[in-house]
Amino acid sequence: MTIDRLSGALLVLLGVFVVWERRVLPLGSSQHPGPGYAPLLLAILLIIFGAILIAGGKGSPPLRSISWPEAPHAAAILACCIFTTILMERIGYRLTIFIILGFLFGVMERMKIWLVFTLAIGFSLGSFWLFDSLLRVPLPRGGWNF
Amino acid sequence: MEVSFQNLILGFATVLTPTNLLYALLGCLIGTMVGVLPGVGPLAGISMLLPTTFGLDATSAIILLAGIYYGAMYGGSTTSILMRIPGEAASVMTCIDGYAMARKGRAGPALAIAAIGSYAAGTLSVVGLMFLAPPLARFALGFGPPEYCSLLVCGLVVLSYMTGGSIVKNLSMITLGLMIGIIGIDQMSGYFRFSYGLVSLGDGVGVVPVAVGLFGISEILATAGSPDRREVINPRFRDLLPSKQELKDSIGPIGRGTVLGFLIGIIPGSAHIISTFVSYALERRMSKHPERFGEGAIEGVAGPESANNAASTGALVPLLALGVPTGPIPAVLLAALIVHGINPGPLFIKEQPVVFWGLIASMYLGNLVLLLLNLPLVSIFVNLLRVPYRILYPAILMFCVVGVYAVNSSMVDVGIMSVMGILGYLLRKMDFETAPLVLGVVLEPIIEYSFRQALAMSDGAYSIFVLRPISAFFLVVALVMILLGLKPLIKKTKDWRERLTEAERGA
Repeated sequence: MTIDRLSGALLVLLGVFVVWERRVLPLGSSQHPGPGYAPLLLAILLIIFGAILIAGGKGSPPLRSISWPEAPHAAAILACCIFTTILMERIGYRLTIFIILGFLFGVMERMKIWLVFTLAIGFSLGSFWLFDSLLRVPLPRGGWNF
Repeated sequence: MEVSFQNLILGFATVLTPTNLLYALLGCLIGTMVGVLPGVGPLAGISMLLPTTFGLDATSAIILLAGIYYGAMYGGSTTSILMRIPGEAASVMTCIDGYAMARKGRAGPALAIAAIGSYAAGTLSVVGLMFLAPPLARFALGFGPPEYCSLLVCGLVVLSYMTGGSIVKNLSMITLGLMIGIIGIDQMSGYFRFSYGLVSLGDGVGVVPVAVGLFGISEILATAGSPDRREVINPRFRDLLPSKQELKDSIGPIGRGTVLGFLIGIIPGSAHIISTFVSYALERRMSKHPERFGEGAIEGVAGPESANNAASTGALVPLLALGVPTGPIPAVLLAALIVHGINPGPLFIKEQPVVFWGLIASMYLGNLVLLLLNLPLVSIFVNLLRVPYRILYPAILMFCVVGVYAVNSSMVDVGIMSVMGILGYLLRKMDFETAPLVLGVVLEPIIEYSFRQALAMSDGAYSIFVLRPISAFFLVVALVMILLGLKPLIKKTKDWRERLTEAERGA
């Protein structure tokens, strides 16, 4: 399997999915196109581009040529993003940022514990002060109002 | 002419207040830091810092953001010259001769010429912007929905051709971007589209979470954990002055780079990157000693750096006059303007003269500020480069979260940023460009609206797009670009875009 063939197949699948999901939206007519008109046109275009990629993708590099040396870090950062999305409004900005920075500095980068605490506390409180207190950008304080 | 100068005086009257001067200064400083720090490109930088402008009036906000924009464009040259790491893609060419000069103990003059070239190009291209944008806006006042739709389609196709790489992949990214832009309430019928019950998606997917995800988060995902390459050459302030010969050798490249950069900057695509490659190639061809290029030729720094800065200003012409962003950075600037209640387009200059001319005046001042401040402060920026990336990337992640959350106080936006981060990371791995995707998201509402209006006008006849001359012209340009893009696929030869992509990767 080559990179272009896989990406082409994914684009075709996405196009088909949009065509299927679009069925609840009225298509209208060419005189008065409805909300489903543009999604259908775009889905067709996506299927065409995907098909071209599949057809011409024989010479592209194989999928196994992609290297993932940064995968552990990427997974950790991704986990931090998900954690933030789910919990930031519940536990507040400062605590969330303290936890994710503590995790990244301490677990992923294996820094010394005093440095982890200094950086995590400094960044979380400092950025809160800069944005919320100084620039009046409201940041979540969570259930404990912190 | 007279009207322009009167307006320019109005602009300077707007900018020359202590507050606005401070914002111009701050913008340039922050922008330079953004350009200097690896992992924070101008796009992610502007997006992350957008919330800091919310408490400001529109003019001050735009002055600050514009300062960040061209400050970042300048800042990229510092890392290129001192570390051979381009702070952003447009500084790739500066690495070659800039770093070679630094290795020979001429880092100071290289930095000084980069600053002087950026200043001259920035200032001269603002003159171009000042004279070109108003008449272009007046011309565009005659555009109806078919012309607008065709112009935007043409812009997207030109972007996909000029971005480099496979045109089919770029077109598919545009289509994907347009699809993402569809999510939310349909402006003409009020239907919720693809929002799956999430009320927060009613307003659609914002450009800030998309841009920060695709350019900020995906960059961190791809680079975190890589070993630090931190050999920084530290120039002394007294060594910054270039010699008379170096100044003399730089005048021509700066002039040519400015004209080239400004003209290329108007075209959609990676104009600021392309302009540096074209400028470098031109200077090398015109040189009596082309063998010096790659070994520390000052022309190899002066030309590309001037072209880069001129292209950044050139990109503002279609944005301010037509409301059409030509790349992801102008797209985020467009979003910023909209947040502040300004809708760029043909009526913008007429209806918001204070903002437009204030911006123009601030750019003159900003370029001067960059020249006067950045050279004396180069040691501070060098110290910034010594901050280990393992400390930097969690901080960048934190700024991404704050920047995205603050736009709408929405966790859904943070979620979208995360999803776009993964998408951007995977797309990089699979050799897809993400800039066309961002443009697709930004332009979808305008394209769809004008497309449906045009069809309603013509009673459903698609021929309206080819029967109106201006619209037909844009479509012909788009068709020519598609055919040019497909040529290497059919002939199996490498065109200039593929060579450009290879050179970018090799740097």
